Amino acid sequence: MLIFDQLRKNDAQLHWLGIILGAGLILLLIGLWWVQIVGANRYREMVEVQHYRTVRMPAARGQVLDRNHRILAENQPDYRINLYLEELSPAFRNEYRRIRPRVIITNDLPFWKRWLGLPNVTTQFVRVKDSQLEQQARFQVVSSVAQQVSDILQLPVPLNASNFNYHYIHSRAMPFNLASQLSLRSVARFEEKSPAGLEASVEMRSHRVYPYSNLTAQVVGFVRPDDSSALGEDATFSYRLPDYRGQIGIEGGLDQVLRGRAGVKSVLVNSLLYRQNDTIWEPTISGADVVLTLDIELQRAADAALRKQIGPDGRGAVVVMDVHSGDLLAMVSAPTYDPNRFTKRISRAEYQRILESTALRNRVTADQYQAGSVFKIIVALAALETPAARFDPLEEYEVKANPATGRGIIWVGNHPFRDTVSPGFYNLERAIMKSSNSYFIALGLRPGVFERVIELGHRLHLGERFPPETLPLRQEAAGNFPSFEQIRKSNWQNGDTANICIGQGKMDVTPLQMAVMIAAVANGGTVVTPHLVDHYTAQNPLDPIPPQPSARRQIREQLGVSARSLKIVHEAMLSETESPEGTGRYVQGCGYRVCGKTGTAELQTTREDGTGRKNTTWFGSFAPYETPRFAVVIMVENGVSGGATCAPVAHDVYVALKEFEAREAANSTASTRRFSNSIP
Amino acid sequence: MSLLNRSHTLNESAPRLDRLQLAAVLGLILVGLAFVFSATMANESAWGQPLVKQLWFRQLFWYGAGGTAAVLLCLVDYHTLTRWAGVIYWISIITLVAVIFFGTIRGGARRWFDLGFVSLQPSELAKLAFVLALANFLSRPPDELRLPANFWKALAMMGLPVLLIMKEPDLGSALVFIPTGFAMMLVAGVPRRFLLRLLAVGSLVSTLFLVDILFAPPGWQIKLEEYQRHRLLVYFGQDFAPANATKEQKKRMEELRRQKSYQPNQALRAVGSGGFWGKGWREGSQTALGFLPPGAAHTDFIFSVIAEEKGFIGSVMVLTLYGIVLFTGLRIADRARDRLGKVLAAGVVALLFSHIFINIGMNIRLMPVTGIPLPLLSYGGSSVLASMIAIGMLQNVHIYRRGY
Repeated sequence: MLIFDQLRKNDAQLHWLGIILGAGLILLLIGLWWVQIVGANRYREMVEVQHYRTVRMPAARGQVLDRNHRILAENQPDYRINLYLEELSPAFRNEYRRIRPRVIITNDLPFWKRWLGLPNVTTQFVRVKDSQLEQQARFQVVSSVAQQVSDILQLPVPLNASNFNYHYIHSRAMPFNLASQLSLRSVARFEEKSPAGLEASVEMRSHRVYPYSNLTAQVVGFVRPDDSSALGEDATFSYRLPDYRGQIGIEGGLDQVLRGRAGVKSVLVNSLLYRQNDTIWEPTISGADVVLTLDIELQRAADAALRKQIGPDGRGAVVVMDVHSGDLLAMVSAPTYDPNRFTKRISRAEYQRILESTALRNRVTADQYQAGSVFKIIVALAALETPAARFDPLEEYEVKANPATGRGIIWVGNHPFRDTVSPGFYNLERAIMKSSNSYFIALGLRPGVFERVIELGHRLHLGERFPPETLPLRQEAAGNFPSFEQIRKSNWQNGDTANICIGQGKMDVTPLQMAVMIAAVANGGTVVTPHLVDHYTAQNPLDPIPPQPSARRQIREQLGVSARSLKIVHEAMLSETESPEGTGRYVQGCGYRVCGKTGTAELQTTREDGTGRKNTTWFGSFAPYETPRFAVVIMVENGVSGGATCAPVAHDVYVALKEFEAREAANSTASTRRFSNSIP
Repeated sequence: MSLLNRSHTLNESAPRLDRLQLAAVLGLILVGLAFVFSATMANESAWGQPLVKQLWFRQLFWYGAGGTAAVLLCLVDYHTLTRWAGVIYWISIITLVAVIFFGTIRGGARRWFDLGFVSLQPSELAKLAFVLALANFLSRPPDELRLPANFWKALAMMGLPVLLIMKEPDLGSALVFIPTGFAMMLVAGVPRRFLLRLLAVGSLVSTLFLVDILFAPPGWQIKLEEYQRHRLLVYFGQDFAPANATKEQKKRMEELRRQKSYQPNQALRAVGSGGFWGKGWREGSQTALGFLPPGAAHTDFIFSVIAEEKGFIGSVMVLTLYGIVLFTGLRIADRARDRLGKVLAAGVVALLFSHIFINIGMNIRLMPVTGIPLPLLSYGGSSVLASMIAIGMLQNVHIYRRGY
């Protein structure tokens, strides 16, 4: 303090004044240091919080495609007209100025002011304390813009004052939506005719559409509006643009793949909370497209076939699987629903209705049923593979008569098992063909056979889910199948064994497990893992692709049965469909030689309200007999019998499979090229 | 050393003007122009205005007018000037009375005369008139200052404008008189016992006043303008609602408190977010986005703009320039020809310092919010004019230290 030193030291008062001044300045300096150096980061954060609003921008959701890249789920543009409030704010102000109450005052001016020629009439504006008037002004401005837009579009543009006010208060920095779901015509008209000063602009959003509607409902699943942050995203946003969240089916199970990664936009706002400008902090990463193994034409045919048989409200399922690769070519579950209903807000009543119809359940994977007579194939295989049983497929077994019904019967201990076949002599082929219960119960009770049945069941992984991520549907049932331990520990009776031998009692399977079982019999004993999700492709070539799903032809296990035994079973299954007496004869004439087995599982318990299923009817089959390729499983709840209810459905499916093979041959070259290109 | 300096100042070849002070003042003027520009030219609509409506240009005009007034002032020896001190003082009192009756109301207070093209704030000029008059009064022989009657007269000279300005109401401007008058009495040599008593009574009264405002039940409180009470409550971090308020009342009061503390909070955030280097000239987001209220950013909160855009470095620079002005002012007081010059210069320095301390203190929440401008930097005709005249008075004392 050079100047301070120059002060006269003996002038005590001035000296004191100097000290006070110096102290004051130093106090300010310390204060500034405290605020600007020590507190800088804290204040910078506060300033950032009040200057920026973060917006979650959902990424473009991936499509779901069938094996020929036909679209099962896509995003359709939704054209909207938006108002940017910051552009309207001068108009708000002007309108407010126009409508606010005013008082005209005639002043008694002091003489000199009058002499200076100042006007003695002034207009004073009354301050309106509450913001009612401002609110009114804003709404008038927006209404007039809405009217203009409505005139251009020649459409009514409804506007709700309280909605607008809510938007103004809570999301002023975001555009206000005037109209949505505009047709391309309307958009074109708007772009062409909107005058230069109109502060409205067209924005595009997308909404999820399922072109095949209820045909693929249970496989593809559906999304619901949900803009919450996904795992690994920032959880705090000021605003969120509408987004979807997959619920069930592929949409649910592969939500992460389809969703991509939401981006972050920051909006700089001014002190009036109007938008100043936008910055993209984190760009969006589009979701990948998911290509399924389904063939939509086959799916359509299978659906029609099932529906023809059971009507619109019937309950059933169809699975078509490639017995070698495990490719699921069709997966139909009835009843079904329109997944498009869920992409908008769905009414509670409608949701309740869909829920009660049980249409949401994918009966192919998520519902388990008594396998019924189809399981006799496995019993036959087990008997053939058990030397201790000394089983000869040609040996004749006598089915005893039930005096009460005139049909067959077998007593296990003191419990009778009714048979639907007439009494008489049966060999294996005839027993399969006519589906005799007595025959297979007797077979299962032979030494060693039951153990082998259980072992084969385990090799087929009955009672277990498929390996993780095989079926990303969020709907999968494990089924039931007894383990050796359960059998040992529980009070296992011969009656239980007898029930298992006819596919009832303590076992349940899903139609898909049934298909895997049929496929294993068909393909020579290989238990394949079903293959539904073929691969992912990026929407934009530069986007990263998530790790691809597991390849086709995933072998889970070998049945370990001889070709001879399989051959015997194949022959028996063939005669079931080709013999005029065979229960599966209705499948005939489909163009293939089909090996099949019907099943009719009688449920001992029906629910009291009468909704319980009584018969679960099945038709498990594969074709062609010569070189098996397709496994087709039909399941109908409350059917009459496997042969009468399900075999005709299978017939239609095989007809469609013939067409499928023809199509495949026609464009095999093209599709191989496409596949080899899209798989990186 | 001091003896040497003393002889140096008596040298005929010594400069007539205090050039260091003038350099600092020039520096402040440039800073003032630059940041009034920054604070008011943030949005595009400001650019469309004609030049005479652009506030930085108006500020330039006031610097010119103030500079001219200061130069004219320096043509007359301050002794001649103080002969008119009584007249000037009473004229200023009359204007203060007049403004209460005829002034224009802005924000609930009558502080301005609206002359159509400009508006004047008489309290700004009354401060200078008061300094001039009190200096004149206190320059009597020291023996006379020992008389209690003269002490009381000095207090009355101070009290009259204070009461009138409080009536406007403009508490901040009114309170500035008190430290200024006190400093002048100190320098003039008013006996210490008087000053100590004054200090004791002053602090007792202000303590009682604050305790009353902050803690007394509503019926017992001194009548203050509501906004004044709110500013004090905000400053001391008190709840607005009385302790026995209903929940609904409390909620409303909390909302009110939030509103009332908005401005000081935003100023503090502007200053703090400037950090060490600042965001750069015209880059201050608090200013540009209007978080610093656009009506106040270029006037009472101009320091926040500087601190946000130029950071701690800029703040220190401004403080340094003010330090130079203040200490050269003290040097002028020290080298003055007589006690009149000394008291006058000390009064001006104390007046300037009070403004600077209160204003900057308000920007960093060291002081409650008061409508006190920052001398030479804040936008405003009366304030700039008064500040320039104040500098002119200092230079006057310096020029006529040798008694030509």
